[in-house]
Amino acid sequence: MDRTLKTRLEAKLADRLTGPVRQRQDQTEIRVKPADLIETMRVLHDDPELEFVILADMAGVDTGDTLQAVYHLWSNKTPDWLRIIAEGLPREDPRVPSITGLWPGAEWSEREAYDMFGIIFEGNRDLRRVYMPPDYTSFPLRKDFHLPDDSARGPGGGVRHVEQPYAPVQGTEQSIRRTVKA
Amino acid sequence: MTAPAQPNQQHASEDDPRIMLDGQIGQYEQVPPYPPRTEREAEFYTLGDGEMFLNMGPQHPSTHGVLRVVLKISGENVVDLDPVLGYLHRGVEKLCENSDYHHIISQIDPLEYVSSLFMEWAPVMSFEKLMDVQVPRRAEYIRVLTGELLRISSHALFQGWMALDLGGLTPILYSFIERDEIVEALAALTGQRMLFNYFRVGGVNGDLNHEFMSRVGDWMSRALVQHEANIGLLNENEIFVRRMRGIGKLDRDTALRMGVTGPNIRAAGIPFDVRRAHPYSVYPELEFNVPVRGTKDGGDSLDRYLLRLDEVRESIRIIDQCLHNMPDGPVMARLPRLMRPRPGRAWAAVESPRGLFGTYVISDGTDQPFRFRIHDPSFVHLQLVGMLMKDNLIADTMAVMASLDPVMGGIDK
Repeated sequence: MDRTLKTRLEAKLADRLTGPVRQRQDQTEIRVKPADLIETMRVLHDDPELEFVILADMAGVDTGDTLQAVYHLWSNKTPDWLRIIAEGLPREDPRVPSITGLWPGAEWSEREAYDMFGIIFEGNRDLRRVYMPPDYTSFPLRKDFHLPDDSARGPGGGVRHVEQPYAPVQGTEQSIRRTVKA
Repeated sequence: MTAPAQPNQQHASEDDPRIMLDGQIGQYEQVPPYPPRTEREAEFYTLGDGEMFLNMGPQHPSTHGVLRVVLKISGENVVDLDPVLGYLHRGVEKLCENSDYHHIISQIDPLEYVSSLFMEWAPVMSFEKLMDVQVPRRAEYIRVLTGELLRISSHALFQGWMALDLGGLTPILYSFIERDEIVEALAALTGQRMLFNYFRVGGVNGDLNHEFMSRVGDWMSRALVQHEANIGLLNENEIFVRRMRGIGKLDRDTALRMGVTGPNIRAAGIPFDVRRAHPYSVYPELEFNVPVRGTKDGGDSLDRYLLRLDEVRESIRIIDQCLHNMPDGPVMARLPRLMRPRPGRAWAAVESPRGLFGTYVISDGTDQPFRFRIHDPSFVHLQLVGMLMKDNLIADTMAVMASLDPVMGGIDK
């Protein structure tokens, strides 16, 4: 856990953070609004005290209510991994600016997130499905996309599913859906 | 019927589109058979003067799996290319989100089938972060030992593949000798030759046994000699060196911006190795160098090839230290059988033979992860092929692609 990174981040990004800087083990987590993502990334990448030059990962996340775009960065200036979460993308029209201007290598990762979650990365020059066929219409990694034998729908709700046979869903949509506190 | 105007679709006759006029044969069929979805796709699938498409794959022997690459060629030169993925897509992330934490280890084993221990290592590390588990030191040493063995086997296989893709049949036979000795040793330890399913949350599945130790000791006694002999097969081959040198040049800035990791970024001159950049397991206690190659302008295919050979030497050093310093003690931490980590998020990354392999887990308090993200280095590296191949010969596609060492199982997930 790098305490100095926390103070540096708070100093550089104070008005852009939507919540406190969280730290656990070797990871530091910040949250931003999707509109602020590009500017945040630019500061993180270019600032001589931060210099997060390596984009380790770009992932989409469905919390059950809203979608998120999650980035992991690495810098020589800190022993921590930095996680940036662009949160609160609405399910119906999730839009987030593309970071391919800074890291062109994120192009395919964004394509993957589009393919799996339907997140639209504005500015990505090649935003088409990467794994699924072109005529496919669903977004398979969203939480409302159930596998045929999805035990999360059953009464066990994901607990000890191994021992529970599949049972048809009883109850409301709310009881079916797993959500995580964003 | 009024179809939207397509770039390559020119109907020969207004009355009957099936009739083609002379000179329009070949222009009629639209490639691909659906409207372009992005500007980039429309631009790629529009042919310029004297250009044509050539399909490589999905079952081309040198694509290291089931990958289709659409080459846009002008004469013998590749103008542009478009990799088409998804032939091996199994939805591993979704499967993992519907399996419990212990099952995931065997679910994601077959991702990169030539280095499957690293595919187990990253998720296991991220689960340990979620659970706040301290892994016994002996287990960490065993992980490093087996991991480095597998790294050597993976790089040996790379060397053979590389030669095979360039038309040399012999080296892969020698690579397989080396690989076979390693996987036989690991089979004595884990019971499997390929998909080991050996790491567990909190340790490893079973202590070292006599057969494994005797096999490894036996192999170590001649590992370096054998390695040098294998190197001699190729590195002094003029045809091989000339075909590799100068093609697929990757400079430092591009490497960073493209998210390249692993041997490919080190061959471009940037010493980024997760084992040193963000130390995990017992790597801080071990002595090894991070080999770097390439000039200040970056590295070419030959650099990427040679760098992996350097890494084999370092791995042999690490194995030697592991065997000498192996501590005593348990190989598993005490953990409840049914894992239910508290809600939280964890990211862990390891240095696999192909680069940074990471997993990102979100727990919601049940025994299944809420979100399980797999970051595979080959997926990122495959993007480079189009960039590195511009204005090279078709035959060099294989040399460039093989030098990046992608494995399709991991790319398609």
